[in-house]
Amino acid sequence: MYETRLWLSKRGRIRFVSHLDMFRLMTRAVRRAHIPLWYTEGFNPHPYISFLLALSLGVEGEREPIDIRIVDDAYPMEQVASALNAALPEGLRVEAATVPEMKPAAITWGEYTVTYDKAELSAADLTRALESGALETEKSGKSGGRKVMKKVGVSEHIRSWSLEETPETLILRVVLPAGSVLNLNPQQLTDAVNAYLGTAAAPVRAVRERLLNADGKEFR
Amino acid sequence: MDKRIEKLLPTVQKPARYTGGELNQVMKDKNAVDIRYAFCFPDSYEIGMSHLGIKILYAIANERPDTWCERVFAPWPDMEEKMREQNIPLYALESGDPIRDFDFIGFTLQYELCYTNVLNMLDLAGLPVRAADRKGLAPIVMGGGPCACNPEPIAEFFDLFSLGEGEEVNSEIMDLYAVHKKRGSTKEAFLRDAAGIPGVYVPSLYDISYHEDGTVEAITPKDGAPATVTKRIVRDLDKVYYPKTFVVPFIDVVHDRVTHEIFRGCIRGCRFCQACFLNRPIREKSPEVINEQCKGLIEQTGYDEISLCSLSSSDYTKIEELLNLLLDWTPGEQVNVALPSLRVDNFSDELLQKLKSVRRSGLTFAPEAGTQRMRDVINKNVTEEEMLETANIAFAGGYSAVKLYFMLGLPTETDEDVEGIGLLAKKVVDTYYQNPDKPKGRGVNVGVSASSFVPKPFTPFQWEPQATPEELKHKQQHLKETLPSRKINVSFHDIKTSFLEGVFARGDRRLCAVIEEAWKRGCKFDSWGEFYRFDTWMEVFSDLGLDPAFYANRRREYGEVLPWDHLNYGIPKKYLIRESEKAKRAETTDNCHNKCAGCGANKLNGGHCDV
Repeated sequence: MYETRLWLSKRGRIRFVSHLDMFRLMTRAVRRAHIPLWYTEGFNPHPYISFLLALSLGVEGEREPIDIRIVDDAYPMEQVASALNAALPEGLRVEAATVPEMKPAAITWGEYTVTYDKAELSAADLTRALESGALETEKSGKSGGRKVMKKVGVSEHIRSWSLEETPETLILRVVLPAGSVLNLNPQQLTDAVNAYLGTAAAPVRAVRERLLNADGKEFR
Repeated sequence: MDKRIEKLLPTVQKPARYTGGELNQVMKDKNAVDIRYAFCFPDSYEIGMSHLGIKILYAIANERPDTWCERVFAPWPDMEEKMREQNIPLYALESGDPIRDFDFIGFTLQYELCYTNVLNMLDLAGLPVRAADRKGLAPIVMGGGPCACNPEPIAEFFDLFSLGEGEEVNSEIMDLYAVHKKRGSTKEAFLRDAAGIPGVYVPSLYDISYHEDGTVEAITPKDGAPATVTKRIVRDLDKVYYPKTFVVPFIDVVHDRVTHEIFRGCIRGCRFCQACFLNRPIREKSPEVINEQCKGLIEQTGYDEISLCSLSSSDYTKIEELLNLLLDWTPGEQVNVALPSLRVDNFSDELLQKLKSVRRSGLTFAPEAGTQRMRDVINKNVTEEEMLETANIAFAGGYSAVKLYFMLGLPTETDEDVEGIGLLAKKVVDTYYQNPDKPKGRGVNVGVSASSFVPKPFTPFQWEPQATPEELKHKQQHLKETLPSRKINVSFHDIKTSFLEGVFARGDRRLCAVIEEAWKRGCKFDSWGEFYRFDTWMEVFSDLGLDPAFYANRRREYGEVLPWDHLNYGIPKKYLIRESEKAKRAETTDNCHNKCAGCGANKLNGGHCDV
């Protein structure tokens, strides 16, 4: 038995398939691909497939890590990718299968490309918001067992950002917290920007390009 | 996909309902086909994608090189609101193209409370809801499914209905359409010809006249339409086309598995059951064919469960043979086999052992009525002893939860019959505690689900009055008050919902105006409690001067012309009257395996019936 880390891209309309539904989808894909996957033992055996980090609904991904275990040592790792790609629906592709180098807990940052329509948000306004240091958003949390909305600071958690313009769009490259400790997604960032500016911009497109560890090195 | 749709998807619930792109969906070049077919299910994606019929008919239509068939579901109200705001017309999932430009818009009609959704979908597509206001040849709006057996309450919205099984007739309709399209025909010319295809009902070719008391006086065909339209059946289930693959949804739908129909029809003849009388004669599929097709579907879809479906699965004569074939390979592939719709009187120990080797879920029985007299009236031929014996087998086999299905408001039902439900459930509880082999250290959980009986066309009870909402309320109350044990949990169906279902089930064409007006006043998704607006419906009936009780709660005479008398589902009225009379005397009719009762449905299949 060996463990392998798949790097999945998720592009196009399939970005609207939720994290929970992705698990079921992958389960069926490995079955169709006849990959000798390790099944959990117990009353209801299910294949061991671990998505290391959820991707928000509507966000595309370029390199999303998934760990799986292969029971047959003779089954080549390269074949995992090719067999799966023949079984996956349009928009999903295993870009590579590698030997895991880092522990899942090492994931700390996510690098995103977020595209806005200039008609909805100007470069000057977005720059002003990002430089303000005062961005915050609301997250649902619990207080004394009750569900409440909690204010969460955004500005202090942005590791880095840069802005590029095309004739019609703004392209924001931004590194946001990702992982088990703190998560911020492009929608929350956009909400915070909108709250600060009093705008109602919605990203045209948001892509998670890759994940980084605490030192800002690419997660492998 | 329309950019505007992409932009609004992040703002609605479960956006994957609206994207298409699922595994095994059929994509074609729209410029290379002659016929665009929108297969519509007038309910949510989750309900529609669970339906086997759509999978079969979708696959058959797409086998035709000249046709591209796509799926359409009713957008959930949050999505609908946004689509209307931005003038996005209803589109088909595969291509994203607006369906108003398609050649066919086909609706499957599974239950009466979906009618307003049909209108809403036509309107959302940008089409007039009334057939008479849609002037061109295309789109032809057609309907099929169980509710097509009395389509009169929606007759004015449709161009044609296909009665019975659609596997063959749909293609015949498309062939004829292709000829007319080339010819540049009018819709009227096409419909006149279509009425000549067996199984096709064109409502605009029939004039309905009424007596002063509101009952139907006559149904008069015109322009050469046949006086009676007979439903279609397929003769041989082994030879009829079955999909080689299913579209696999992204999101969790109600029935998300490989489904396989093992036979059609039902040998039991329970007098309340429309499905039994609509689907005769009995035709079985052979175990070898089912097994091979299941293997192929598991391979194509990656599903880990097969559900064998039929109206009464343990009546399939080769059930053990089939389970042996399936259980030979399914455990090794981590595939479960589920067998719903089992009878309580022929549920054997061996069958239970086989089922135990697959995944165990709860056990469900449908005694339908609480006393033997009542069960004899409805011809549910099971005795209390048989039921308790089966419960014992199940308890010894490790089950500790049982769900019992009953109906309230059956013809001739008394308070004593209602009390009988509680007493029967109590006996199941007692049986559990007296069973020495029951699961250790666990209490029993008996659930009683009591729905309201709705008389349906083409059953022996089609002349019976439905119990009024007040009567049903009393019966529910009485059942609750006389429950003899705390181990029994009762749940009821909503009475107001059953009432409207009863009105439409046996309604006539005058109800079209009611449905249109209710839809205009905002009624839709009527089968969903959160959207059902009973008061609005009652206001509409009152404003249009029609009495819903006339349809739901009135006893019909055998001699009355019924709104569906020009449609033939293979069982003559004579037979239904005979059964109705036997019901009044609480006499039973044996099941078809024991003795043919001569229902006449075998004539549809050249005199053949698989019993």
